Amino acid sequence: MKVGVIDYGASNIFSVVRALNSLGASTKIVKTPEDFKNTDKLVFPGQGSMGSCSKKLSENNLRDSLIDALNNFPFLGICLGLQILFSESEESEGEKGLNIFSEKIEKFSEFEDRTVKIPHMGWNQVEISQNHFLLKGIKSNENFYFVHSFASKEANQNEIFSKTFHGEIFNSAVGKDNIFATQFHPEKSGKSGLMILKNFLDWKI
Amino acid sequence: MSVTIRIIPCLDVRNGRVVKGINFEDIVDAGDPAEAAKRYDIEGADEICMLDIDASYEARSTTLDTVEKIANQVFIPFTVGGGIKSVQDVEVLLRSGADKVSINTSAIINPKLIEEASKEFGSQCIVVAIDAKFNGKNWSVYTHGGKNKTELDALSWSKNVEQLGAGEILMTSMDRDGTKTGFDNNLNETLANNLNIPLIASGGAGELNHLVDAIKIGKADAVLAASIFHYKEISIRKVKEVLKREGLDIRL
Repeated sequence: MKVGVIDYGASNIFSVVRALNSLGASTKIVKTPEDFKNTDKLVFPGQGSMGSCSKKLSENNLRDSLIDALNNFPFLGICLGLQILFSESEESEGEKGLNIFSEKIEKFSEFEDRTVKIPHMGWNQVEISQNHFLLKGIKSNENFYFVHSFASKEANQNEIFSKTFHGEIFNSAVGKDNIFATQFHPEKSGKSGLMILKNFLDWKI
Repeated sequence: MSVTIRIIPCLDVRNGRVVKGINFEDIVDAGDPAEAAKRYDIEGADEICMLDIDASYEARSTTLDTVEKIANQVFIPFTVGGGIKSVQDVEVLLRSGADKVSINTSAIINPKLIEEASKEFGSQCIVVAIDAKFNGKNWSVYTHGGKNKTELDALSWSKNVEQLGAGEILMTSMDRDGTKTGFDNNLNETLANNLNIPLIASGGAGELNHLVDAIKIGKADAVLAASIFHYKEISIRKVKEVLKREGLDIRL
């Protein structure tokens, strides 16, 4: 089995590759449409802004192959890899996401007293709202590592798998059919994070 | 339920070995970086920071080796600082296994580096480290590991780098570094009250109460310490248990 790791050109994919390799998975960097061949699963570890991600996906002709893959492959989106699955983001008005989830990604509310810092950076609790194969062995309210300034606040209840609080509640994991995505970084969340990646490797659809 | 206070052990590394100085001088050996990092991870560190305090061009490959060794066994956020001068230096470190880079002197010499690096790799991986000393009125920023005084003051400089795209500030008090007399809570609070990005307090940790004060009084989002953890004076687990008892949000 080969796990494709999408490198759209503006992201630090190395940590994810390293974590997957440590679990015994063989990985392949996916940079062009041809690279999707001979991969069995896909991980999308995004960083930076949704606008530049969306642009680079188009520039590198990855958008169509990615949409195609989203219909067929077990898919794990991480951080911006979650956000890009939504229709659009307040971060980059006018740029289109992949529209797997029809809602919008929004900015965190700012608080006058600066008690809620943005980016939301650090370990925070993930409250599981419904079971999922990828969350097997994870207890509700375990801590995972987050780094982001925008979040999914609204989504279809059936598609929300966990919630987290940072000044307000947001969706920290969403999923649908063969697609699962986390706002947190499993590759940087110690044992609990590696457990989610391990579950992803074991996931059959 | 909220984001937890981060406890970040820092490995000051030179020639592939952990070292620790007092007031930026008097270097002593404190072990193998990868082993230290692994121990910290097991003890419950929330992140690992490694500062290449020599950071000479010749020693670069040793540094990258060390980064890679640590990254291969520790799956928590890993920041590397020291000797970063260009976007390419950032990329090489990220490729070697760093999740974030900490930029100090080069940010002052070339502030554009912050802007370019954060645009290229995202703000989340750009930490700006500031070394500063109280001058009677405010805090003067120093470069080159505390050797050269600049005209900058820590507050305005930190606000400036926030605008340029820094994702975090690592604030080291040169007055307190290595003294074990506690963090400079005035300095940290002044910054924390004026920044939206997270603040990591550094310099001065000697006992548990210092860490509690850094968070409660200094309003730091994270605390970084080196020597108290290296010599096993205080374990990270113990620190976290105490902070939790103090009512702080802590990941145990």
